[in-house]
Amino acid sequence: MSNGGLRRRDFLGSSAATIAATQLPFSYGAWAQGASTLRAGITGYNVINTLDPGKATLIPEFYVIWALYNGLMRLDANSNPTPDLAESVKADGNTLEFKLRTGVKFHDGSEMTSDDVKFTLERLLDDKFASPNKSKVSGLSAIEVPDASTVRLVTKEAFAPLLTFLANARTGTQVLSRKAVSAAGDDFGKKPVGTGAYSLKDWVPGERVSLAAFSGYFGGAPKIATIDMPLIAEESSGVTALLGGQIDLTSTAPFADIPNLEKNASITVLKQAGLNCRFVSLNHRKAPFDDPAFRRACSMAFDRNALVRAVLFGEGVTAHGLIPPSIGYAYGGNNRPLCTYDPAKAKAELAKSKYPNGAEAEILTWGQSWWKRMAEVFVAQCNQTLGTKFTVQVTEANTVFQRHKSGDYQGSIWGWLGLLDADEYLYDIIHSKGWRNFYGYSNPKVDDLLERARRELDQGKRGALYKEAENTMIEDMPVVPLFVSNVHNLMTKKVQGFKQLPYSNWGDQFANMSLS
Amino acid sequence: MVWVRYVGGRLLALVLTVLVGSVVVFLVMKAAPGDPAVAALGESARPELVAAFRAKHNLDVPWALQYGRWLSGIARGDFGLSLTVASDRPIAGLIAARLPNTIFIGVMALLIAVILSLIAGTIAALRRGKLADTIATSLAAFGISMPDFWLSYVLILVFALGLGLFPAYGFIAPAQSFTGALYSGFLPALAVSAPLAAVFARTLRTSLLEAGNKDYVVAARSFGFHPAYVFVHWIFRNALIPYITIIGLQIRYILGGVVVIERIFGISGVGSLMVDGAFARDYPVVQACAVVFLVIVLSVNLVVDVVCSLLDPKRAR
Repeated sequence: MSNGGLRRRDFLGSSAATIAATQLPFSYGAWAQGASTLRAGITGYNVINTLDPGKATLIPEFYVIWALYNGLMRLDANSNPTPDLAESVKADGNTLEFKLRTGVKFHDGSEMTSDDVKFTLERLLDDKFASPNKSKVSGLSAIEVPDASTVRLVTKEAFAPLLTFLANARTGTQVLSRKAVSAAGDDFGKKPVGTGAYSLKDWVPGERVSLAAFSGYFGGAPKIATIDMPLIAEESSGVTALLGGQIDLTSTAPFADIPNLEKNASITVLKQAGLNCRFVSLNHRKAPFDDPAFRRACSMAFDRNALVRAVLFGEGVTAHGLIPPSIGYAYGGNNRPLCTYDPAKAKAELAKSKYPNGAEAEILTWGQSWWKRMAEVFVAQCNQTLGTKFTVQVTEANTVFQRHKSGDYQGSIWGWLGLLDADEYLYDIIHSKGWRNFYGYSNPKVDDLLERARRELDQGKRGALYKEAENTMIEDMPVVPLFVSNVHNLMTKKVQGFKQLPYSNWGDQFANMSLS
Repeated sequence: MVWVRYVGGRLLALVLTVLVGSVVVFLVMKAAPGDPAVAALGESARPELVAAFRAKHNLDVPWALQYGRWLSGIARGDFGLSLTVASDRPIAGLIAARLPNTIFIGVMALLIAVILSLIAGTIAALRRGKLADTIATSLAAFGISMPDFWLSYVLILVFALGLGLFPAYGFIAPAQSFTGALYSGFLPALAVSAPLAAVFARTLRTSLLEAGNKDYVVAARSFGFHPAYVFVHWIFRNALIPYITIIGLQIRYILGGVVVIERIFGISGVGSLMVDGAFARDYPVVQACAVVFLVIVLSVNLVVDVVCSLLDPKRAR
């Protein structure tokens, strides 16, 4: 065809370009305002009820809260708490003394002082306020503010996890302004005021949240002027939006798509094992899981690697304990023989147990894919290896939780997400007084180690105690650990400075980010 | 007088159907598993918080009284407060903000389906048994059997990610930019319209062929009228009645399609609100959306019946 001729392809191409040029700047207003807007899609969720840290419970609520506020501490890549609004921390027995940064401003221009910290913590502790995050600070016995930049937190006895609970994560302890909260009253969740790098610009329920850079941020004014966060309920839609150029960053990604996305040169896939644990919860008060030998037999009767492949499409690591690898100071590795697939040893354990010929049991689970498949793979392999007659019963997540609480179950798929401190993984889940210990597990030696770990303020010594507790616990196999799943973010090549942390962080990174 | 009685009677029937429907919707949501207080307050909620929540949202009285309060609220345009989807925000406001988007996509899908089916159905009938007919009827069979969510992803893959002609995600509200809404709504509307266009085209083809064999058409032809004149005045007009009736009946499928498509394309509409509500056990939101959908379907059916009776006055009697 001659140079002057217009081919159909050219026409389609140029008309598309024309549409893009004429429509996008107007219609995609908030979506594409050039380099000064980061379009950070919150994927897999679209419900945000409140932006008040004291009231927040949902992950997407915290995604936004992390950009709006700061805690006294923040978590590093190994889940160690490091100072944030605090400049330094001094531990002395049952007292933690924080020196605050000076000159930190709230979004309303007022200065952050120790009184605001005191107010924040007292508000969480107030029964009338009924915070779902109260348990994070319920160990406090006194909050002292000797001067405007010093806060002293006193606990009944030394309580090491408190530092983690004061971090800007899923804790609810983010520091609020006494003045702003009093002014907003019940509406504070809709009109948040914090010290974070961004302030709330606009919020359409179920649709989007947008943030504006806070020029008075103590870390320096952020480079990106506006953050637009569409709430994308379907994870797969988040992927298409990123590939189609409608967003720059996602907060999650569908596990099954990761292998393909990693081959795509136009995007970056960030992933690492997250802060979670999945296990089979076994009721020690009911046959057949009342026998430790039988529980050990089950643990060695199935292949955790196969489970990771079948359920997570390879996007996770096998678990041989409850503490995930990202809690570096306490992680005990995943090469424990009792959690390794070994049919011969499994059968030998079974022969020693009260049920040498196998037994019947019902394993509860819920949902369509993931949780159901976990139960199916576990049950099928146990039955094959041990000749047991386990069955899968699919019901609803709340029902499973209620049956855990009332002890009305034999075995069940279970797991926890969003726990930050080693104490939550072990004390809560396997200490005889732990509130998440539904199965009736009790071992005085484990209890003692966990109580000592709580009082140990040296992070290295504390980690060693957790490792010892886990090694002791695994002999009893109170629950059968399965795996730790990955956390994912997808981003385009123009996004710079996003650092993924294992608790699936998000808004806390906006301050350090830029667009090329 | 006949008309007033006809339309008045239909309006009364509509109101009664909505009332019966609202009871059904209400009871179905009451029977659904899961506790809204637990969904809203979290698993570790203390009993006194649960009690306060129930009192605030009218959940602590007998269901008949709950229904009565709910219905009288609706009559005043008050659908109550959202429990878990957008907690403490008025549901009426949520729906008012989203309904225009849903209606826009629905109407756009309907128009696309009507245009496609008018062309395909007419060509198929006029070229009966020829290649064009085979192509049109095969496409229609394909369109009917294809799930709309699958079609959505194919459209995204080809037209958004492949050719880059349309956005892969996101929708601009018509109030913000009408052309933007047409542009960003095209793929979702096309996905919703495909199965409808197929059904419409097949109906139109069949009824055109039937009408073409009627005695009065044979008579008109024998008078020597031009074939095009015969087609427009005798065949097409009579074939329109079953065609329009089918459109009325299929409106509910538009709404069904919109529920799925809104989530895939990120359209902030009533369909996605209803899905969110169902997932989050936000009963009042689901109830409100169901009532809105019910009213839309019944109103459209009413309009269709009135149009049909204008085309065929025998029907009004």
